[in-house]
Amino acid sequence: MKDNRFEFLESNIEDEEITRPSLTYWQDAWRRLKKHKLAMIGIVLIVFIVLFGTVGPYLTPYSYSDQSNDFKNLPPRLDVFEVEEGINLYLSNDYNMFLVLENGKMDRKLKLDHRDAINKVYTYLLDAGNSEEVVILDFSYNTLKDKQGYDYNFTIEYKGEIFKYTTGSKFNMSFPFGTDDLGRDILTRVMYGARISLLIAVIATMVNLFIGVIYGSISGFEGGRVDNIMMRIVDIINSIPLMLYVILLMVWFRKSDGLTNIIIALSSVFWVGMARLVRGQMLSLKEQEFVLAARVIGVPKHKIILRHLIPNAIGPIIVAMTMMIPTAVFTEAFLSFIGLGVSAPQASWGTLANNALSGLITYPYQLFFPALAIAITMLAFNFLGDGLRDALDPRLRKG
Amino acid sequence: MGSYYLKRVISSIVTILLIATLTFTMMHSIPGGPFTRERPVPAEILRSLNEKYNLDAPLYVQYFDYMKGLVTFDLGPSYSKIGTSVNDLLVAGFPTSAKIGLMASVLIIILGIPVGIISALKQNKPIDYFVMFMATLGVTVPSFVVATLIIYFFAGKLGWIPSFGLTSPLGYIGPVIALTGYSLSFVARLTRSSMLEVLRQDYIRTARANGLKEFSVIGKHAVKNALIPVVTYIGPMIAAILTGSFVVEKIFAVPGMGRYYVESVTNRDYTTIMGMTVFYAAFYIVMVLFVDIAYGFIDPRIRLGKEK
Repeated sequence: MKDNRFEFLESNIEDEEITRPSLTYWQDAWRRLKKHKLAMIGIVLIVFIVLFGTVGPYLTPYSYSDQSNDFKNLPPRLDVFEVEEGINLYLSNDYNMFLVLENGKMDRKLKLDHRDAINKVYTYLLDAGNSEEVVILDFSYNTLKDKQGYDYNFTIEYKGEIFKYTTGSKFNMSFPFGTDDLGRDILTRVMYGARISLLIAVIATMVNLFIGVIYGSISGFEGGRVDNIMMRIVDIINSIPLMLYVILLMVWFRKSDGLTNIIIALSSVFWVGMARLVRGQMLSLKEQEFVLAARVIGVPKHKIILRHLIPNAIGPIIVAMTMMIPTAVFTEAFLSFIGLGVSAPQASWGTLANNALSGLITYPYQLFFPALAIAITMLAFNFLGDGLRDALDPRLRKG
Repeated sequence: MGSYYLKRVISSIVTILLIATLTFTMMHSIPGGPFTRERPVPAEILRSLNEKYNLDAPLYVQYFDYMKGLVTFDLGPSYSKIGTSVNDLLVAGFPTSAKIGLMASVLIIILGIPVGIISALKQNKPIDYFVMFMATLGVTVPSFVVATLIIYFFAGKLGWIPSFGLTSPLGYIGPVIALTGYSLSFVARLTRSSMLEVLRQDYIRTARANGLKEFSVIGKHAVKNALIPVVTYIGPMIAAILTGSFVVEKIFAVPGMGRYYVESVTNRDYTTIMGMTVFYAAFYIVMVLFVDIAYGFIDPRIRLGKEK
């Protein structure tokens, strides 16, 4: 028989394999998570922030508590007067004159030679190599009566030449984020703050996780009267605004340092949500056959909970945990902001923001960087949390 | 039906008393009395102070005195502001906080819910992405940052609003916006997700299949059901906002309850801390109670479920 309509296919192993390689729960979750763009952005940001807080402080030449009397309140971007080739002068808001190098490094503060506060003229000395030059700052414009209506507020006189406007601006390479009112490097402090804030958040979350999971699983698994009493306690704790409770605790432990206090205060409150979640999971899981099977062969209760129930509820637990970290960062920042946080010279993002508040109008950058750090962290964990929820628990996937 | 409400009311009262006991115990177990200063107070002054505030009495007597005061709405004297009682501070601070809080709550409700609904109806359209972006931003940026940014730009740079105090009506703008930020975003997100959930339900398809106008499908059938989880959130939220956010009041120098609270915390003014905590907690619990009761009317399923 010769029939061209049919032909033999070459035997192909790949074609015969209809099933995909089976994936474990985690591989499957990871596959879904990888597709979630925002979650991946979140992971990248979190890795970045963690590196920023752990490795970062070793890369800067300053420590978080190094103070410098000369370099106070310097902004990240310097508006300079280039008075001569290679000589850039920066005038700060409190009329200090600085020499800035061509590459943006802060060289030194000029010596204030003479101060004429009545005519509003200051004289500075600039020792350029062997000669000493005089820089005269006249900031009387628009402040004294007979000098009104100028579109500039001060002039700088150098070697007989008068400069009315800044000639350019440079990034501050010595202090990329600027310095605070004690001359501390804000970049180093934000890095250090990342360390403190994340440390607090992670420890508090771990403790909450531990308490919440144990409490919730006992309550859910035991059921009946035990469950009833345990959940009433949770209800009571839950009916207190948590912030008040944390503040009370912070007032209560006033002895040791702020860091420990804040961790204890945060860990003793936020487990309530976790306990409820775990209890809910337990209630539905414990009715399933595999638990019955385990009971029948005489597995003790705590092993059923640890080996069978918790692993099955791990998805929602992880999601709740991811969401707990930003809450902890937020609460910590909030507490530090109202002055109940870590004690100086330690700094968290909240303390940094609080310190920046007093000079906000003049030195806004001091608030900007810690605030940005908080916002990025919150965003990153929220993104990751959303992604994890979709990946680990597809039932909860939102529209 | 009535017994459920009765139970809820009683359990709320018990909770408030428990919280009062808890705060009392905590404040009295702090080492050192309320008059412990860096420079020790002379012994006889300390003695007369202790006598005046009845601090010599055994703890249980103090406790019962405090509870008696609580029942008659007398929260005792303030230790650091001499001559003022905690009640005075509440009377001075609460109306201001409540005024700002009320404005913020109204703003959240009239803005957050419609925005959430629109966003859900235009799912995955640019407007939805924009709303969700703003809402995510609102949830992630702390209120103190929002507040300081408002001060920096609108009060400092542009000079449109005063940077502190409530002397002019414009002064309300800053605190209200700063208070609104988080909850507004949250309400918008919540409304959106709950609306999306509802829109997938069979009865919406049925309503559409029956030829109802889109407006009445959304307005009559979808929104009503979608708002149930939102109501749950809004109740406690109003309580939290009405009693004033500490940070916002601190930044805008608003003479509200939050500021007195923060002040009392920094001054270690124990009676004020105690009184205000109990007040906050009671207010919060009462609001939650109202929501629970209102719930029964909004959603008959809950009423039936709770009755057993």
